[in-house]
Amino acid sequence: MSHLPPIGVWIAAFLTLSALSFLYKDNPFFRFAESLFAGVSLGYYVGITLDQTLVPNLIEPMQQDFGKHWDLLVPGLLGVLLYMRYFPRIGWVSRYALAIYVTYYIGLDFTRRLHGEAMPQIARVIVALPGPNPLAFVFVVGVLSVLVYFFFSMEQGPVTRRISRLGIWFLMISFGAAFGFTVMGRVALLIGRLNFLILDWIYPILGI
Amino acid sequence: MRAFLERLLRLDRRWIFLFVLLSVAIPIVIPLGLPVTTTESTRKAFEFIEAMKPGDTVLISFDYGPSSAPENDPMAEAVMRQCAIRKLRFIVIALYPLGGLNLASNAVAKVVAEYPDLKYGVDYVNLGYKDGASAVMRRMGDDIAGAFPTDEAGTPLAQIPMMKGIASLRQVQLVFTVATGIIGEWWITQVHPQVGTPIIIGPTAVSAPKYYAFLNSGQLEGMLGGMKGAAEYEKLMRAAHPEMERFYGSTRDFTATKGMDGQTVMHTVVLLFILLGNLAFFLTQKRAVR
Repeated sequence: MSHLPPIGVWIAAFLTLSALSFLYKDNPFFRFAESLFAGVSLGYYVGITLDQTLVPNLIEPMQQDFGKHWDLLVPGLLGVLLYMRYFPRIGWVSRYALAIYVTYYIGLDFTRRLHGEAMPQIARVIVALPGPNPLAFVFVVGVLSVLVYFFFSMEQGPVTRRISRLGIWFLMISFGAAFGFTVMGRVALLIGRLNFLILDWIYPILGI
Repeated sequence: MRAFLERLLRLDRRWIFLFVLLSVAIPIVIPLGLPVTTTESTRKAFEFIEAMKPGDTVLISFDYGPSSAPENDPMAEAVMRQCAIRKLRFIVIALYPLGGLNLASNAVAKVVAEYPDLKYGVDYVNLGYKDGASAVMRRMGDDIAGAFPTDEAGTPLAQIPMMKGIASLRQVQLVFTVATGIIGEWWITQVHPQVGTPIIIGPTAVSAPKYYAFLNSGQLEGMLGGMKGAAEYEKLMRAAHPEMERFYGSTRDFTATKGMDGQTVMHTVVLLFILLGNLAFFLTQKRAVR
């Protein structure tokens, strides 16, 4: 005897098939699924930000002990100021909040890029040649030739042109590897949906 | 022959879609059990966690959403199972806005049901979702309770036994970020240099190539790249812990190892179509020139 899957699985199966139906041709079922997905995603985002960020980090602390957490008014106010852009007469006020927000992230990202990315990666290229890793030489040549390819401040001569051509080869090989991984990633999504359709929807209907 | 080749060139692409669909669907119904070979990046991740001491703390960050769940779910579940077996405590957080928390809660519920001895607040805790991933990481480097004042259910961190003695990321022995997009990269470029906590990443296949640079520079302890990385991890788990067979030997449930059957068949089909298409193109072009 088959055990029919719950209603949520039927809805998910219908929406999955509606989304996949675009592969045959554009149709109202696909458009419905697309619009529903966009709407639900936005609603979910708003809801979870309110429930998991604003309430526990801003509203509840101030409700519980305003004297201790009064300083939370500052970020709260900055958040409210962002929405002033919807009122044309005082829209300029939102720029202050945006400026603080952008400055904060520039400060954060500057350290991150320099200290967490540029420095360790450069340190990795500076290796003793010949070193214990025979691929280190290829690695160094790859980095330098790609950098030459992206150096646009002066016209390339016969030597730099050859080096930058080598850089293009390194780039193409890395793009090829990235594309291979991308195909694998996209197929994984298809596998996920078909697993759901077969294991969670069709098998229970058939009683398997 | 010429007519066949020309017909091949005019083939409606929907036939290719159908072939791709069948090549993925058939291995789900009839698992092929194709072999999975392990790579160094996955072995390093596995061995790092295996070498951790019982009682050590792993922070598992769900930095992905439902759109990449088939790749990332098996990684998160495998590492949580390993934590349960190795008696490691784990803190679960979600920094990805669209569904990260739901996926985290579902994965925790699934693994906890498999290991009923695990006690909430003692062996594991779910701190929930927080917006602004980069700022959250910055704060957690100094003060976890500052970023997550309560757990997902609203219990203050001070009342959770497991969190006593874990004030910041400095008291966490490993961060495992299961990631899609940029959030995983921030753990490596921001938290690792500033706090020094070792990082292992489980990225989607699309993001995996860029993380090899971080792996080579020693900024990562290991990596599980996409569904292939997850399948490798499952293989290592089965080899090291025979009791894992009950999860990864099942033909009914979804595992990354099973997913790799579909990957292999589908890639073979696509390669055949590329070969056939190019062959038809060059042969018909040659005849047209003659």
